[in-house]
Amino acid sequence: MGSGESDIEALLEIRNLHAGIDDTQILKGIDLSIAPGEIHAIMGRNGSGKTTAANIIMGHPDFEVEEGDVLLSGENLLDLEPWERAREGVFLSFQYPQAVPGLQVGNFLRKSVASIRGEEAAKGADFRRELNEAMDTLDIPRNFLSRYVNDGFSGGEKKRFEILQLQLLRPKLAILDETDSGLDIDGIKTVAAGVNAAIRGTESAALIITHYSRILEHVRPDKVHVLIDGRIVATGGPELATELEENGYDWIEGRVGAESVA
Amino acid sequence: MDSVAEYLSLDEPDRSSHLWRYTPWRGIHPTGDVSRVPKLESPVLGLIGFDGGAVPDGISIEEGVHSDIILPGTDALTGTFLRAVTGNSQWTLRVEPEFSSEHPVILDIDAGDSASVLHLALKVGRLSDLELVTRIRGSGEWFGMLRTGDIGEGSSINDVVVSLMDDGTLLRVDSISIGRDAQVRAGTVSSGSECTKADLRYRMDEPGGSLRVLGSILAAESMHLDHHVEIHHEAPETFSRLAWHSACDGDSRTVGTGMLRVADGSTGADASQVFHNLLLSADAEADSIPELEVLEHEVVGCGHGTANGPIDEDQVFYLESRGFDPSEARRALIAAFLNTTLSEMGSDSLHDWLVGLLNSELRTPDA
Repeated sequence: MGSGESDIEALLEIRNLHAGIDDTQILKGIDLSIAPGEIHAIMGRNGSGKTTAANIIMGHPDFEVEEGDVLLSGENLLDLEPWERAREGVFLSFQYPQAVPGLQVGNFLRKSVASIRGEEAAKGADFRRELNEAMDTLDIPRNFLSRYVNDGFSGGEKKRFEILQLQLLRPKLAILDETDSGLDIDGIKTVAAGVNAAIRGTESAALIITHYSRILEHVRPDKVHVLIDGRIVATGGPELATELEENGYDWIEGRVGAESVA
Repeated sequence: MDSVAEYLSLDEPDRSSHLWRYTPWRGIHPTGDVSRVPKLESPVLGLIGFDGGAVPDGISIEEGVHSDIILPGTDALTGTFLRAVTGNSQWTLRVEPEFSSEHPVILDIDAGDSASVLHLALKVGRLSDLELVTRIRGSGEWFGMLRTGDIGEGSSINDVVVSLMDDGTLLRVDSISIGRDAQVRAGTVSSGSECTKADLRYRMDEPGGSLRVLGSILAAESMHLDHHVEIHHEAPETFSRLAWHSACDGDSRTVGTGMLRVADGSTGADASQVFHNLLLSADAEADSIPELEVLEHEVVGCGHGTANGPIDEDQVFYLESRGFDPSEARRALIAAFLNTTLSEMGSDSLHDWLVGLLNSELRTPDA
């Protein structure tokens, strides 16, 4: 079951994506289309292929694409290295962001912004103002800048730092891989506000990967897709997330099974 | 017995010795003939402020060494040799009691373009507060430096030695006593010489001393950088940490050997040593051997460890996902690895200076 029609206006278009790792096929034919300005959510159990999809779009070298295309504004991302994808406007908020002891947050952010938005964007008072405003939005103290990237960060600090990067890097496509996991309700609200600020009212798009509907109450998705065993088995509006929360994944599996038999 | 006779009375060490396992003495000796005590040139010394101007009153350098001690340790060969060849090249760096400087002071050592040697005695008065950067540069084929001295009681000293020699061999011996309640950070930044042999010894024989020994070592091409660090706890309530980070590229080799001795009676001693090696190529090699001798039962803790590994590919992917190209990611991760010890060597201004130095070596974005 596909999740979207082929659309030349799509910001992200995934066609018939088959992919896996170490000879194990995980994604078994994904079709997905996201238009500029849209926020989509992918929900699914552990092991359904959600994080694999995120890593494939970003270009993680451990994963292998067997078949299909991943297009960003019509350009096939699969032809690009991860850093080229980042510079083309793909951003992945990691479920488990890497710690880099010794690399200071401030220098890392300047270098990242310079790489993706150009040297001028990372210089001067304008950048400092933009940085300060984003940190204030996310309730991140100034001394954060002198700490090392994700080194000794709490779970909430790591997630807020990912969203800080999202705001500063201004990607065309933001993929948020379980950014809500490990956050309390205030943390979810703060992160959701950051996502809304980065995406709503822009030509960017977001793909939110999550187990739960909690974050989707604060970042209202345009579409919700349900991923089971490497396939998108259902697509609907935000109400689908609520139904899943109430009825569980067994419900959607039963529904899909019944439709198949019929 | 004079120092020349004393040196000549010593046997050539063999590889069974902890100190000489990886770097034979004849490979370090300025002529290769270990029975010779050659005449060597003197380097040019300058004491300058961090901004390139004059240093504040209370710190000075003068010719001659009035007294020195080579600390007992694994063996005394290198120290004895350097004392034998530094007869005409002896200086004392004197820091008056209660000296304080807002900014670091640089001791610039221009080793010139021929083999040269220096004996520097450090006399740091009580209750002093100083950041001292000893910068070694030059294009000679050999440079030797013996540093002896005492850190006065209650002093707070950040003592960083930076080796920026173009090439050649560097032999460095430190033999430093740390006074009561003194706090010392002893940093080594090395990325220059083709071959380095360092034998760094510190003794805390009065209560309350605190010592952090930190290394940021960058080896490339066929460089061979061998550092031996001995820390002697000989008094109660003494504290030490050794953190040594070496990054090895090309077919270079780094060696880090540590000896941590806690003498009987050093109750409340707290000591540990850790060596981390980042291997950047298949042909690079790093050897680390930390050793402990603990003769006192009533200690807070004594531990050691070592870890070798390549660049973490997950870290590379994380940086690439933020727009770093592969070479930028690699350089940033090397700089970060070395920065974890570099950042502990002193104040923010000293750290910024050291990072600038490191980045010029790596041609990298800021760590």
